[in-house]
Amino acid sequence: MSSDVVFFYIYGLVALAGAIGLVTAPRLVHAVMSLLATLLSVAALYLLMGSEFLAAMQLFVYGGAVTVLALFVLMLTNPEQNSAGRSGRGIVLTAGGLCVVLFGLLSTALMRGQWNIGAVRVHDTESLATILFSRYVLPFELAGLVLTIALIGAIVLAREDDMPDVVASPESQLADEAGDVA
Amino acid sequence: MTLGLNHFLILAAALFCIGIFGVLTSKSALRVVICVELILNAVNLNLAAFSAYVAPKEAVGASFVIFLMVVAAAEVGLALALIITLNRTSDISAIDSMSRMKG
Repeated sequence: MSSDVVFFYIYGLVALAGAIGLVTAPRLVHAVMSLLATLLSVAALYLLMGSEFLAAMQLFVYGGAVTVLALFVLMLTNPEQNSAGRSGRGIVLTAGGLCVVLFGLLSTALMRGQWNIGAVRVHDTESLATILFSRYVLPFELAGLVLTIALIGAIVLAREDDMPDVVASPESQLADEAGDVA
Repeated sequence: MTLGLNHFLILAAALFCIGIFGVLTSKSALRVVICVELILNAVNLNLAAFSAYVAPKEAVGASFVIFLMVVAAAEVGLALALIITLNRTSDISAIDSMSRMKG
């Protein structure tokens, strides 16, 4: 058993424990923290595969931004409503059975598959950059567009309604301010 | 015993199934969103594993992981903005009771 396998089992167990904690923790803060444990160990698994750029991106995007965003939303919304109870026993049992069956099917299919591929470890940051900026340069730019549109949409959605309207003409805003002063 | 592709694939399948279970059973909207994040992470792990083991010279799967991260970030931003808006306008965060748009 090489050290790779030992590290894989350590990080894999942490990831699984975090995922189970995310589903079962009664309080949402603990659920988000469990999600953080899962995301960090998935970043470590990317390192084990030899793709260190993906590990860094996982740390920045998921471990940093997504977790902090979820915690912010948790603090902005009402915590008592957020810890709304679980679904009924029937739903939990049905969903659990469904997921166990799904996992059984997936794992038997994966076990049967002949993946006779050696452990090839290449530091692939350079090839990733090459392919992102040559073959996939149009999807890359479109991804930037998608992010911009999504963030503008998020700001528009989450804005307070009684804030001054952005599209209001300067004259009417001046008139409003004059009225306020008067 | 060396670290093979199967290890990563089965771990990703387990994470995927746990995420689906969370989406199906949890009532709080925020938990549903972060369970979707977990599902997307499992898919990312699959893509990265195939990229590292099947085609390590050409990082096609790794570039798909980057695009999926972009989509996941956009999704979580929009979903959390929706949660804030719903919480402000209707004091509802249990997703079972979000039924205003039903016909």
